[in-house]
Amino acid sequence: MRFMADQLDIGVGLGHGLRLRGPVMVASGTFGYGFDAPLVDRSALGAIVTKGTTPRPRAGNAPTRIAETPSGMLNAIGLQNPGVEHVAREYAPIWASWEVPVIVNVAGDAIQDYVEVARRLDGVAGVAGLELNISCPNVVNGLQFGLDPRLAAELTMAVRRATELPLIVKLTPNVTDIVAVGRAVEAAGADAVSAINTYVGMAIDVRRRRPMLSRGSGGVSGPAIKPMALQAVWQLAAELSIPVIGIGGITTPSDALEFLLAGAVAVQLGTVNYLRPESTREVLDGIAQYMHQHRFNNLRALPIRGVRAMAHA
Amino acid sequence: MIVAAAQAEVVERSTPMSGATELVVHHPPSASAVQPGQFFQLAVGAPHTILRRPYSAAWADPISGRLGFIFNVVGAGSAWLANLPEGHDVDLLGPLGRGFELDGRDPAIVVAGGLGVAVFPGVVRALVARGRRVTVLLGARSVAQLMRSDRFAGAEVKVATDDGSAGHHGSVVDLLLDQVGGLDIFGCGPTPMLQALMRAARRLDIPLSSIQVALETPMGCGIGTCLGCAAPGRAGGYLLTCQDGPCLRADRIDWDHMTDAFHG
Repeated sequence: MRFMADQLDIGVGLGHGLRLRGPVMVASGTFGYGFDAPLVDRSALGAIVTKGTTPRPRAGNAPTRIAETPSGMLNAIGLQNPGVEHVAREYAPIWASWEVPVIVNVAGDAIQDYVEVARRLDGVAGVAGLELNISCPNVVNGLQFGLDPRLAAELTMAVRRATELPLIVKLTPNVTDIVAVGRAVEAAGADAVSAINTYVGMAIDVRRRRPMLSRGSGGVSGPAIKPMALQAVWQLAAELSIPVIGIGGITTPSDALEFLLAGAVAVQLGTVNYLRPESTREVLDGIAQYMHQHRFNNLRALPIRGVRAMAHA
Repeated sequence: MIVAAAQAEVVERSTPMSGATELVVHHPPSASAVQPGQFFQLAVGAPHTILRRPYSAAWADPISGRLGFIFNVVGAGSAWLANLPEGHDVDLLGPLGRGFELDGRDPAIVVAGGLGVAVFPGVVRALVARGRRVTVLLGARSVAQLMRSDRFAGAEVKVATDDGSAGHHGSVVDLLLDQVGGLDIFGCGPTPMLQALMRAARRLDIPLSSIQVALETPMGCGIGTCLGCAAPGRAGGYLLTCQDGPCLRADRIDWDHMTDAFHG
């Protein structure tokens, strides 16, 4: 099946000069910094999105950090990461020799944190772009950046000024109107949005009578959230002019195709990487096979409604 | 380390002790590659489950190409695996993590609490094969939950039960007090048992660096990417069970902050 992907135009533009050779990426937090996945065929990946990276190292949350939930899982890892300096010095030089672009996911507690990471990575060989995790709580306003269109825009604009790197903003679904946040970050200079991050959720250990996670709540990912993620992408793709990257519970080629038909230009696979490390290759091959069978020779023809964002791609 | 995902055929299923299942699979590459103490991630087909289940290889035999997994049914995933009929395939990812260091000063003392015994048949076999003198201290709630001592051929076996139905009436850790010169200890069991083991070791002036434990924590990927299987490190920060362990020296762990929850 591998030959099929080679015969089709499955390249994707995410704006600001960032081009992927295929539409299947791995989602932040499910692939580390690209070094710990011996079974993954990196040549199948359009891009790697790293673990959320902060200005300084973070130890992460006390265990228990994860729990399985019906058709999904909860996590509250707490942004355990080695800090941007380590990433820039130790990891980026290795990424520079890889064919697959590496997009660094950026997190922080204040706008200044995001700006500091973006500035440090600007112009660093091996870093192909940034994805802003705006689901972190804002220390000043006490809100998550991603919950408030104005805060989200302010953050996006500040990072935009700090770097020439392609800028993806990862939207949280824990809002009443995700399109409003999408529009705000588009206007503030985002090159693309990725949707969605995890849903807030929890599970309780009935026997011990306490929450399963030490933090009480965490983020729900996996197939359980796919229908809601798909609907968010469907809305965003209709309303935004920048590319939308679909994320949320994708495990099969058919799942990925749903997002592409809904208007996503690319997809990210997350939780499934834990279950089947080879699924990125399977999904890519499945997309290619579908395009072949249905006589699509490029991804731009896939979306059901036609997508304005593709004009910018 | 060889890490691969593969389909392995279930060739035998039995009940090694009450509540536990032993699944024997035939997969020669895994049986040859696995080191005592390493684990595999077993894929689960139960409805609405998603994560693999991390199980230590209980033992492996490179000649027959077989390896065994011993686990308790604690949830939908383990129940599904426990009901896999002979002749069906199970999807294995591994071997993963670090095994035990098998060289040390005799005697080697194995301290197993409850299902923690699941990792030890192969470990003891490997220790005995090295000509080492081995004492196995087995603890369980009751006699029905004790693994048969003939699973530890060549080792001396002592037992303890919480209800006194066999051996010492009390904790397996109490049995450590009768040991002399035990400076090479292998432990696995529930967190409270391991914490008791550490307290006993301190009382007996046994350095925690001479104790190796096989950690059990909730686990996501098993390969170091999800950072879900964190265990508090004594030097600060967190260790990952799947990368730094599951087998590691007890002095690396902050035992006061270990958790004991896991999903089944």
